[in-house]
Amino acid sequence: MLEIKNLHAKVEGEDIEILKGVNLKVNAGEIHAIMGPNGSGKSTLSKVVSGHPEYEVTEGEILFNGEDITELDADERAHLGLFLAFQYPVEVPGITNKTLLREAYNTIARANDREELDPIEFEDYITEKLDVIEMKDEFLSRSINTGFSGGEKKKNEIFQMAVLNPVLSFLDETDSGLDIDALKVVSDGVNKIANDKNAIVMITHYQRLLNYIKPDYVHVMMAGKLIKSGGFELAEELEANGYDALEKELVLNGEAQ
Amino acid sequence: MSEVIQRDTMLSYITGSVESSAESVAIRAINERGREDLENTPFPTRKDEDWRFVDLKSITKSQFCKLEEANAADVGDISDHYLPEAMNCRLVFVNGVYSEELSSVEDLPNNVIVGNLAANADNNSVKEHLGTITNYDDDVFAPFNDAAFTDGAFIYVPEETVVRTPIHILNVFTDAEKAFYATPRLLYVGEMFSKSTIIEEHIGLADNQYLNVPVTEFKMFTGSNVHHARIQRDSKKASHISRPIAILDKNAEYHSYTICLGAKLFRNDPRVIQNAEEVNFTVDGLVLIDGDQIADTHSIMDHRFAHAGSHQLHKVVVNDNAHSVFNGKIFVAKDAQKIDSFQENRNLLLSENGKVNTKPQLEIFADDVLCSHGATIGQLQDEEVFYLQSRGLTEQKSRELLVYAFALESVESMEVESVEKLLLNEVIEYTNRDEK
Repeated sequence: MLEIKNLHAKVEGEDIEILKGVNLKVNAGEIHAIMGPNGSGKSTLSKVVSGHPEYEVTEGEILFNGEDITELDADERAHLGLFLAFQYPVEVPGITNKTLLREAYNTIARANDREELDPIEFEDYITEKLDVIEMKDEFLSRSINTGFSGGEKKKNEIFQMAVLNPVLSFLDETDSGLDIDALKVVSDGVNKIANDKNAIVMITHYQRLLNYIKPDYVHVMMAGKLIKSGGFELAEELEANGYDALEKELVLNGEAQ
Repeated sequence: MSEVIQRDTMLSYITGSVESSAESVAIRAINERGREDLENTPFPTRKDEDWRFVDLKSITKSQFCKLEEANAADVGDISDHYLPEAMNCRLVFVNGVYSEELSSVEDLPNNVIVGNLAANADNNSVKEHLGTITNYDDDVFAPFNDAAFTDGAFIYVPEETVVRTPIHILNVFTDAEKAFYATPRLLYVGEMFSKSTIIEEHIGLADNQYLNVPVTEFKMFTGSNVHHARIQRDSKKASHISRPIAILDKNAEYHSYTICLGAKLFRNDPRVIQNAEEVNFTVDGLVLIDGDQIADTHSIMDHRFAHAGSHQLHKVVVNDNAHSVFNGKIFVAKDAQKIDSFQENRNLLLSENGKVNTKPQLEIFADDVLCSHGATIGQLQDEEVFYLQSRGLTEQKSRELLVYAFALESVESMEVESVEKLLLNEVIEYTNRDEK
């Protein structure tokens, strides 16, 4: 589904490379976790894959279902089924959740020659999706993320994911700032959405999210590269020994630079 | 030794004389006073504090003639501009001249008057209040209207009367061979505990140059209440200099909302004067400009007695080379205690060459008041655009939605559904012009 090959990227107009040759392959039905210390390039990877204009790809490519999407705009990538749950969801006073989601849903439907939903059909459709994150109806008519608590913002990201039904989702530190109750709701939501046709890449600093959403693969990112991949046991190892231990081990083996 | 420099007056830019042709003695007296003021007041330049940011070229590089000499086109069918809510409650002025044919006033409550000033010149309220409320020192534009107007709109709402239908004052301007001037006038008298909604509109039907200098006077008696929406959609070559003023007796409420979309040069000096204790008023504005448009608002909220609540939200969106100026004065006199006044000016800059000057000006001489103000100038945040775009919306649609959201609050104050719809369409059209 997703194949990232030797991806290098930097902030547009600056010289410092943030991604220094990322390789990643994600298949349908898989859940991946990318872990790493602050500043390792995790968030940048999710932004580059979803088409943030602030970043420039200097080398490598991003293939989505075989198509090179490196040059596509963010909305075109969304039309293909990519989704990014933001670490810091943006507040948009004046535009309701419902308005945004109907516009988004129908734009994606149009781009894929699927039928659009009229306001009444859409109302039924999203009301149903509220169950995914255990929110009430009023959530729909509130301005996007405006005055939301940290937990509500993260729930809203997962709610949008449920409504737009993407093929591949990047969850950027969706667990950060969540108390245990909110973390459970958000994780349950993600688990309800996950199926054998879609895929999820979670980006996180901590293992605790992975206790609720079990990844098939865990990758460690450091200094702009995925330096080690494995199963769930890799996350446990990191939790026990920290990133420093891993870094040392890799240096000893001559694998890290 | 010193040489007296003769400065231009307003009349320097007007061809021919501004001779009164009004039939009414009362109107002629105001005309006479206006002419005197005009001759004694120099035309403003950038050296005047109140005009330092504004380029008045679009007036000073032109000559404006009387409508009769302009060879103006016929008005044609303007029914698209009628408001469905005000179908039988509409006064139409074409190039400043009252059109009985296009106006329609029916089904009003007893003794309510919605008509033209010339036909009501003998009405006691007209005689008593017309020309007595405007109060602009060292100004040339209000006196110019004083000097030149012969007719206008007159609205009278008697005691304890509520007019539920919005009253639509529609000023349209047609194409013409020469640049002409117009001096629309509106006198509103709200008796004790009366209530109404006024939609005052200025629409340029073509793309021609003209000078629109309206004066509106609102006399608000005890407990009266008005919702006054002003929508300026003049031609993009026109100059529009407005002088709207309201004077409020005890417990009166005056809420005004000015929407600026058109005109090359727009200058608006709204003033609300407190004439007794316990009043409430709003002086809101929404400005959407692009190209080379200039929109300048100089407002005064004049608190002279205790216990007033006043509010001003002035929102501005600037694109291309457009330029917005805001100078919001809040005056609180020495004995005017317990004033609660709030002013906010929010500016959204969409282009690199757009310009915004903002100057809140609070002059407070009382010591037990709550007055605050704030001004912000910002751009659409890339992060906001990206957020919406990542959900599948095109970049254009994302920007449109964000500007729409910014303007929405002001549009929702209109209270008349068709006006809200019309303005939302204008907002969408404005954001689409961005992409051409």
